Amino acid sequence: MINPKDIHISSVIKKLLTGITGLSLVMFLIAHLIGNLTLFAGPEVFNAYAQFLHHFMHGMFIRFAEIGLLGMFLIHIWSAVSVQMSKKKARPSRYAVEADAGGASKKTFHSLNMLVSGGIILLFVLVHLNHFKYADHEAIGTMRLSNGVEAFNAYKLVVGSFQANFGYVLFYMLAMAVLCSHLMHGIWSAFQSIGFTRPSTLPYLNLAGKAIAIALALGFFLLPLLIFMMRGTFDPNLGPETIRHAANHFLPLLAG
Amino acid sequence: MSDKYPLNPNIPPGPVQEKWTSHKFNMKLVNPANKRKHTVIVVGTGLAGASAAASLGELGYNVLSFCIQDSPRRAHSVAAQGGINAAKNYQNDGDSVYRLFYDTVKGGDFRSREANVYRLSEVSTNIIDQCVAQGVPFAREYGGTLANRSFGGAQVSRTFYARGQTGQQLLLGAYGSLMRQVEEGKVKLFPRREMLDLVKIDGVARGIITRNLVSGELEKYAADAVLLCTGGYSTVFYLSTNAVNCNATAAWRCYKKGAYFANPCYTQIHPTCIPRFGETQSKLTLMSESLRNDGRVWVPRRKGDERKPSEIPESERDYYLETKYPAFGNLVPRDIASRNAKEVCDEGRGVGPTGFAVYLDFAEAINRLGKDVIAQRYGNLFAMYHEISGDDPYETPMMIYPAPHYTMGGLWVDYNLMTTIDGLFALGEANFSDHGANRLGASALMQGLADGYFVIPYTLGNYLASAQPKPVTTDAAEFEEAVKNVQTGVEKLMSINGHTTADEIHRELGNIMIDEVGMARSEKGLKKALEEIPKIREKFWKDLRIPGDAKDYNKELEKAGRVADFLELGELMARDALERKESCGGHFRLESQDKDGEAKRDDKNFTHVAAWRFLGEDKVPERCVEPLEYEYVKPSERSYK
Amino acid sequence: MKVNLRIWRQPGPHAPGRLVDYSIDGIDPSQSFLEMLDALNEKLIKEGKEPVAFESDCREGICGNCGLVINGVAHGPKAACTTCEVRMRQFEDGQTITVEPFRAKAFPMIKDLVVNRSAFDRIMSKGGFVAVNSGSAQDANLQPIHKDDAEHAMDAAACIGCGACVAACPNASASLFVGAKVSQYTWLPQGKVERHGRVLKMVKQMDAEGFGDCSNHAECEAACPKEISVSNISRMRREYTKALLAGV
Repeated sequence: MINPKDIHISSVIKKLLTGITGLSLVMFLIAHLIGNLTLFAGPEVFNAYAQFLHHFMHGMFIRFAEIGLLGMFLIHIWSAVSVQMSKKKARPSRYAVEADAGGASKKTFHSLNMLVSGGIILLFVLVHLNHFKYADHEAIGTMRLSNGVEAFNAYKLVVGSFQANFGYVLFYMLAMAVLCSHLMHGIWSAFQSIGFTRPSTLPYLNLAGKAIAIALALGFFLLPLLIFMMRGTFDPNLGPETIRHAANHFLPLLAG
Repeated sequence: MSDKYPLNPNIPPGPVQEKWTSHKFNMKLVNPANKRKHTVIVVGTGLAGASAAASLGELGYNVLSFCIQDSPRRAHSVAAQGGINAAKNYQNDGDSVYRLFYDTVKGGDFRSREANVYRLSEVSTNIIDQCVAQGVPFAREYGGTLANRSFGGAQVSRTFYARGQTGQQLLLGAYGSLMRQVEEGKVKLFPRREMLDLVKIDGVARGIITRNLVSGELEKYAADAVLLCTGGYSTVFYLSTNAVNCNATAAWRCYKKGAYFANPCYTQIHPTCIPRFGETQSKLTLMSESLRNDGRVWVPRRKGDERKPSEIPESERDYYLETKYPAFGNLVPRDIASRNAKEVCDEGRGVGPTGFAVYLDFAEAINRLGKDVIAQRYGNLFAMYHEISGDDPYETPMMIYPAPHYTMGGLWVDYNLMTTIDGLFALGEANFSDHGANRLGASALMQGLADGYFVIPYTLGNYLASAQPKPVTTDAAEFEEAVKNVQTGVEKLMSINGHTTADEIHRELGNIMIDEVGMARSEKGLKKALEEIPKIREKFWKDLRIPGDAKDYNKELEKAGRVADFLELGELMARDALERKESCGGHFRLESQDKDGEAKRDDKNFTHVAAWRFLGEDKVPERCVEPLEYEYVKPSERSYK
Repeated sequence: MKVNLRIWRQPGPHAPGRLVDYSIDGIDPSQSFLEMLDALNEKLIKEGKEPVAFESDCREGICGNCGLVINGVAHGPKAACTTCEVRMRQFEDGQTITVEPFRAKAFPMIKDLVVNRSAFDRIMSKGGFVAVNSGSAQDANLQPIHKDDAEHAMDAAACIGCGACVAACPNASASLFVGAKVSQYTWLPQGKVERHGRVLKMVKQMDAEGFGDCSNHAECEAACPKEISVSNISRMRREYTKALLAGV
């Protein structure tokens, strides 16, 4: 049996929490990205998806998810900040020369600036929520889905936002670059933090973490950019045709 | 022999196989409730010290554990590479306690005490059990049983090992047990303390004076017994394979307080070390003896041949070990390999920039077995050699030269490990040991742990129960006086204010020691050493320079104190070597060799331990004698032809 | 060869420290870095100055006593070796080399390049052992141990306790040191009995000593002279989780 007095909120528990919440948030991002990709299927699909999310289990699902996400965020921020805070205390006098040992080191620009990238992501999330979640829904209006339901026109809000102002697109793209940086270290680090890595899996987890980071960020990065680039052809009121238009517009760009 | 001060080894009666068992029964015990009333000082935290302190703490004694390092885990036992012997006979190859006993007595060239060696062999098996139980990760076979290898030319495989870090792993096991007792409150740890004197009250060891190596304070500690586990004195040669802080100071100060110093001339010079390259070198690096399994030792036939080794044709090379010892060839025992290397170098046929090196050539083995096989066997050693010397041993022969490595001499102890001072015990390499005139490979770790885990817990209890030491505190006048003496000594050193550093003088002493009291000794050379050493000592006391303050972290002061003692110990080594007019084990007297140049023992006159008694500063010490008797292993000639 | 040195000098724990410039000529490339410092000290003593305090003992990379940060890297430029194993041929003629002590709150300064690493001993006293008294062991071969497990245990046990992991860590964390020791005993049946208490107590002491928390930079593994893998840290966390679950 273990002695309860041996347990405290230890550095290891903080790492476990950071890792678990971090991985959960990554899972959320993956789901969010997949959901967002329905944008390319047109307003009908996207709005139906939004409508479903908001009314699933009489709206309880989204509530729980939101509370869960908020909790994840708060724990992640608290544990990560407290890990970072220990840094200064643990080394009051700094080295005159700082260098990397190379070799097995996973120390990178990304790993050293997790707090900065995390902070920027937090700011982004606030702006993002303010813009989309707390937007003036009445002004945007609704759309009648093929099943007759009158749903909020989330599609119009998203596409409209990104087509209106390139500055806003740029802001998103920058934020996603920062997210990429955060995840470049964050994903493998989370696996390490929850005690998942083994000598044999460590290098692969590190690589896979980077790959997922790039893929995720790239997805979120391209979304607003594509929407902006397809201004004019990307009619917020168009039906499933949108995707064909988008392809017609986008493929020559790629070829050129 | 001195009649006035007879050396009684206190060997229990009975057949050698039963001595330890019956002795354990006959010894007095300390009641568990009384154990906590006794305080024991253990100086040193190597294999002997850590294992003793931990074991005594487990028994319930209050232990004060001292070391000069910042942590007990850094004691020099940590550097032992090869392995540890034990008569487990797990390989079913004919090993037994008796065979290990026999091999050790014979390997020691019939200059060790049979009873002690038998006990060592007997408890060797318990050591392995103990260490495995502690979680020491010994090498294993695929079936999960312990792996063994043959070591140092032994005919059975009885060496247990943990890669090339056996000493480290055994020490960490003992250190772990020690730290557990620290946590339990039974052991108090005093790191960064150097013992500078022994305190005797009514002729009995009752405490020590230490210098706190950080603050420079002199501190007093009282106890009912003092255990000296401070290792050997190879660093008297300045360049050795020992750690740079290894020293003989604690043992030497005890010698001056009345503990006899036995067989100081017995030193082991290891044949396969990386040669020195220049004046500024601080230490010699040992490379595993296993290299001689595939490497061929040679020097050019012509003196002063400065050609590259690749340019010297086969006909002009002298594979001297193979020619001289056709049966064993390059695998002759350590002392013989070392001595022959010195011989050819002294003839002017040595190689390398200093002329004090011989080639160890793998070209033939690489041709025969392929580079891959050699890399598999010796890859890490080749890489280490390459890094240190800058030469690639796959391309050009290695250069090797012998280096001081272990000292068989030390404080004289009886069967109970007690010195000639009551209450003062010596364990491990610090005592004059069970190895006689020559130690077998992988036996040093065995002895350190045997003394600490399995001998001292019994014999110390017997001493305490019999002597019933009265309580003392550090307020006793003897402590005050000892502190004052140490203080005076420190002040004397600090006040010289000359121009020479302790290292410079140590190097000078080392040169004399290795030349005249090293691998081959002669009357002429030893007399020269006895003339030269006092001169160096005089220079030391006239021209030494110690910067800084005595009440501070002061490495130079530490070194100076140790060198001062080496300057006296070196002289005693030369004196002992001069008096022992025979060749035995690590002690080779040029005057005592047969017609083929092999070591010749003189059993008639020298089958004894020579233990030196201090008679006062600048006085010639008295040579006392403990006769050795061989009831079981009859002295025979060592021949490797 | 000749080198220019910038060495951290600090007379005592509370005195201010600074980098002092020295230069030394006539260095043999075969010399070890510490022998170069020996030579510098001999020169300083002759000039009537205080030598640079630094620590070393075995000078062959096993005792863990030496430890300097050379040009920002713990144990210097060469991988998988201790400071005493660094040879001067690693440097260029005329190069400027900055030498600093291991810096961490848990390793208080003593003098110049010497720090106090007793925190490691205190962590070890909480569980860096198997609690078995002398003489109470069974025959060593009664309990077979898989060869691979023994090898894994040995990989972790190779730690020399030098503290380079702490020195190199941007957060001054001791996770690799503790992880290696915890990990060693998880591979061995002998370590199983005390496993839960061991990891909880050792981690608790590590935190109490004031080491920083780990951020998985793995700089520790890169600096480790024995190349101990950060997967041992992962293993420690796994072991810690199991201990917590056992307590539920």
